[in-house]
Amino acid sequence: MVRAIKGVLVECDPSIKAIILDIDSKTHDIIVENLDESHLIIKDNKVAELKRILEERLNEHTKVDSLEEEEEEEDD
Amino acid sequence: MNSQAMKSFEHLEGLSEAIFKRLYQQPATALAVFRRMLPNLAKTFVMAMLFNPDPVPVSSLEAFVRPDQNRLKEEAFGKLRQLYIVTERQGTFALDATFKVELRKALTGGGSPGSFGLPCDTEDKNRVDISFLDRYAAEQWESILHFMVGNETQSSQRPSEGVVRLLLHGKLMEQNRASGTVITQLGFSFLLQEVNSQVWTLLLLYLDMAEQLRMDPVDILHFLFLLGSLELGQDYDMKSLTPTQKGMLEDLRDYGIVYQRKSSSRRFYPTRLATGLTSEIRSLRSPAATLANATPGNDENGFLIIETNYHSPLQIAVLNLFARLISRFPNLVTARITRESIRQAIGKGITAEQIIDYMTANAHPQLRKNSPVLPPTVVDQIRLWQIEGERMKVTSGYLFKEFATNAEFNAVCKYADDIGVLVWIDKNKGMLFVSKHEQIADYIRKRAQSNR
Repeated sequence: MVRAIKGVLVECDPSIKAIILDIDSKTHDIIVENLDESHLIIKDNKVAELKRILEERLNEHTKVDSLEEEEEEEDD
Repeated sequence: MNSQAMKSFEHLEGLSEAIFKRLYQQPATALAVFRRMLPNLAKTFVMAMLFNPDPVPVSSLEAFVRPDQNRLKEEAFGKLRQLYIVTERQGTFALDATFKVELRKALTGGGSPGSFGLPCDTEDKNRVDISFLDRYAAEQWESILHFMVGNETQSSQRPSEGVVRLLLHGKLMEQNRASGTVITQLGFSFLLQEVNSQVWTLLLLYLDMAEQLRMDPVDILHFLFLLGSLELGQDYDMKSLTPTQKGMLEDLRDYGIVYQRKSSSRRFYPTRLATGLTSEIRSLRSPAATLANATPGNDENGFLIIETNYHSPLQIAVLNLFARLISRFPNLVTARITRESIRQAIGKGITAEQIIDYMTANAHPQLRKNSPVLPPTVVDQIRLWQIEGERMKVTSGYLFKEFATNAEFNAVCKYADDIGVLVWIDKNKGMLFVSKHEQIADYIRKRAQSNR
C-alpha cells in the first residue's frame, strides 16, 4: 500500500548534508527520511531552525571576509 | 507576483465538498469562483458544458487542447475536480447541477433581486463620492500597515481591537513581553505583498477566526464574493444581508473594505478594496495601483534613489527591510541595496522575489518608462544574493513510497510530471516527492478502483 509522508525536501551538497546529519545526531528530531547523498526529508517545522544553526556553523569560517566587505562599503 | 495572491486561494481550495456545494447556491459566488479561481482552459471547459443539457464526453473537451499541452489539460481538470465543479461518469463530464444553474443566472441576468447586492432605492442625504471612498479605504488600510511596522503617528490612529486580534491570530504580529505587540516574519512578507493579496490574506484569516467563533463560513464567503461584484460609488441596502453578514460589516468597515457613515446606518458603500476582490487574476495590479494613485500623498518611489513628494513613514519602514537608509530629506530618501541588507531581509523570511515585486510595483514613473522596469543586472544580483546563502534548497510537499507494483509507481510518476508537481524521484527505491498531494492521492485512488 502506498504511503505518503508530509515533509520538506532538502537538496544540498554532500558536505552540507554531512553537517545536517551531525546537527540531527544530537537531537534526532529533524530528519524524517534520508534519501541519498544529496537529498533528505526533514520536518516542516524545523526548517527555520536548521537554516539558522547551519548558517551559524558556516559563518564561524567566514567572519573575516564579511568584515572586510563592510569597510569597503563605507568608502564611497 | 501573482503567486502570493494564488497562495491565499489554496486555503479556499481545501474546503470540504459540502461547503462548496452550498457556496454555489449564490450566482455571485459561482461567478466569482469562475472568474477568479479557474485557469483559462478550465473556463473554456466550463463554457462548453454550461448550456449543454447532456454530459460531455472527455474526448470533446480534450479536442480543445493541443496534444503537447498535457500539463495545462491536467491542471484544468484537476482544478475543476478539486473545486467540485464537475462530476465524472463513464468517460463523460458534467457540471455540478447547482453550479450550472447559478452560473447561468449570473451570466444571463436571472435570479432573485439583490443576488448581486441591493442598491438603495432612496437618496442618501450624506452621499459620498468615489474619491472620498478611495481616501477612506487608503486611510483605514494604511493605519493597519503603520501599526504593524510600529509607527503609529499622530495622523494614523491605532486600528480597532478586532484588527489587532486578527493580526495576532494570523501570526502576522505577536505579543512580546518587553515591547508589546510586534511584527513577525510572516508579517514582514505580508507587508511586501500587493494590496489585493494583503486584503485576501486578512479576509481568509478572518474566515478562519470566524469559524472558531462558530460563524457560518458559507455565509461569510457569499458576502465576500458578493462584495467583489458590487459597483464602486453605489450605496447598497443592508436589508438583503443575513444576520452574520450584518455583523461582518462592522469588521469590514475597520479594514476599509466598506464604508458606513454610522454603525446604525442601513446603507453601506463598497470601497475599491471590495470591488477589486474578485477581479480577474491578470488585472490584480490595477486595484492596488489605482488605490495608490488615489491616495492623497501619491507616493512614488524609484529604485536606488527613492523619490517621494510626500514623506511616508510606512514606505520608509518597508524600504528599511531590505535596503540601508543613507539620508532622509523632506522629499527624498536615499537608500542602498547591499549584499548585507538583502541577506538580512532574507534572514527575516523575505524572499528575493518579494523584494523585486515590491520595487517593480512601486517604481517611480520615470523608471516605469523602461522595459523591464528594473535593470536586469540588479534583479539578477538580488536573486544571486539569495541563492548564495541557500546552502540547501527546500521544497515542502509529500514523499510517496512503498508502491505495490512498478507499473503503479511509473504511472504515478508520469502523472505527477504531467500536472507539474514532481520535484524528485528515485527509480531504484521507488520513491517520489511531490509539491502537492491532493491530485496524486485522487489519481492513485481512481487507478486502484479501475483495476479492481
